[in-house]
Amino acid sequence: MAKRILVHTALAIGAFVSVFPYLLVVLTAFKTQAQLSSTHPWLPGTPPTADNLAEVFAGDFPRFLLNTAVMTAVLTAGQLVFTTFAAYAFARLRFRGRDVLFWLFVATMMVPSAVTMIPLFLIMRELDLVNTWYGLLVPYVLGTPYGIFLMRQFFKSLPAGLEEAARIDGAGALTILMRVMLPLCRPALGTLAIITVISSWNSFLWPLIITSGDDTKVITVALATLKIGIGVDYNLMMAGSLIALVPMVAVFIFFQRHIVRSVVLTGLK
Amino acid sequence: MGAAAAGESRSAAGRRGARGSGAQGSGARRSGGRRSGARGSGWHAYLFVAPSLFGVLAFLLLPMVIVLVLSLFDWELLSDPQFVGLDNYRRLAGDGQTWHSLWVTVAYVLLCIPLQTVLALALALGLNRRVKGVRIYRSLFVVPWMATPIALGLIWNWIFDPRDGALNSALALIGITGPDWLSDPAWALPAVALVSVWQQTGYNMLFFLAGLQGIPRELHDAAATDGATTAQRFWRVTLPLLNPTMFFVTVTNLIGAFQVFDTVYAMTDGGPGRSTEVINFRIYQTAFKEFDFGYAATLSTVLFLIIFVVTMAQVRFFGKRTTYDLS
Repeated sequence: MAKRILVHTALAIGAFVSVFPYLLVVLTAFKTQAQLSSTHPWLPGTPPTADNLAEVFAGDFPRFLLNTAVMTAVLTAGQLVFTTFAAYAFARLRFRGRDVLFWLFVATMMVPSAVTMIPLFLIMRELDLVNTWYGLLVPYVLGTPYGIFLMRQFFKSLPAGLEEAARIDGAGALTILMRVMLPLCRPALGTLAIITVISSWNSFLWPLIITSGDDTKVITVALATLKIGIGVDYNLMMAGSLIALVPMVAVFIFFQRHIVRSVVLTGLK
Repeated sequence: MGAAAAGESRSAAGRRGARGSGAQGSGARRSGGRRSGARGSGWHAYLFVAPSLFGVLAFLLLPMVIVLVLSLFDWELLSDPQFVGLDNYRRLAGDGQTWHSLWVTVAYVLLCIPLQTVLALALALGLNRRVKGVRIYRSLFVVPWMATPIALGLIWNWIFDPRDGALNSALALIGITGPDWLSDPAWALPAVALVSVWQQTGYNMLFFLAGLQGIPRELHDAAATDGATTAQRFWRVTLPLLNPTMFFVTVTNLIGAFQVFDTVYAMTDGGPGRSTEVINFRIYQTAFKEFDFGYAATLSTVLFLIIFVVTMAQVRFFGKRTTYDLS
């Protein structure tokens, strides 16, 4: 019994620690500058104010949000399409060099993005794509080795011979993939989509390097300049952070089972 | 109509699959493969793989080659690159600032990896006891993982604020005067590492929980019947069987931690002094602030080698104890 209470206490503390920064963001984003120093950080400001949010929204933030949404949508769509094709081929088709190629893909999962960012920048510079949408999107729109790994695991878990009936009916590989496989893939695709949405939305270093104008500025880069721009105006920073976080929290609330599934899909037991 | 047809063939195929499922493992797959090969599905397999393969070659492998080559050059973008042989590496040997950055990175890794692994395992063990509200706890623990690191950095800046911040205000309630966290060279790196622990622990926990749930109950029962204590069961049964999970979690976490950038950028900008100037931050500065691209490529190569060696060491360490099925 005592042990049970101990476990629950530990878990409750863990849950509180996990969530409290989000609570603080909300509390702070709705405080005035004066309330920031006069009220306790753990207590809400009375009356709450929407001025910070209004101020952030009055600037270029809506545009940066839109840019981020566009980037996230394109990268996620690219990931889903190209990854599905490649993973399907690796999992269910037989062709010369398949295993070697797949090992190449798995090996590149280890290549750190910190190492590729300089050459990627130089490649984009050579192609005259610095500070363009193409430069921002091209290196990541063709999908990631991790995505292929994940989807391949899923395709392999489907029963063998699934394609046979369709093949006997004379369907080609593309028809089989579209008509037979894709309907079964919905859960895995959902998982891959969520992971890609989150990582695209949160991405910072590449956008920071490759973009400089407002046309392609994404929310993470805008947030970082918010810090430099106004020093330590915490309520504005928290308002900006809140705006950046809310879409991901929404995604999480609606699709969290997909995140749990991503863990199961990696096939670790 | 198309969907209905697909559904029909799916169920037919499912039945056939189920019938042969016993011996299906390798034999059926191989024969199925041969058949499809005989039908000449080869060329569209290549077509399916082509875009991703292009991505991997152009944006992962080509950059690796460029980094290696560029590390032998001196290039400030404006003039033509100059071949300097191993000069950059010689320069690195005597570059105290870079050694400092490497040391800071190692310290960061040592501060966050053990903590976020052990905490994650502890939480998973707690959740694995079939307590009430498992799903809610599980969700709450994962909430930090999807937070935008840049936003997080700003938020934790505010939490760590020495005067009005939430942390020191809370500490004041129990009579402790908190340090100046991010402006104190002794505390800044631990504070940044703490944010990583906060963000990563819950997600790691998911993997451990999945791993724990994959351990057959009978093993624990058998060990208990043989008189094994809880501690013995943990060390002798649970932990060895969690090896694949431990491998995956530590490998991915280490690769990430060696490249930490976003939180440092948002929280300390490498400061105070250079106390949080991790290697990736230094690479970024060298390339995009000092435009010393050749030397930045050298630093990137070194970072890659470090990550490679550390990962291979883990593969060897865990390889003896695990079989990881990639087939």
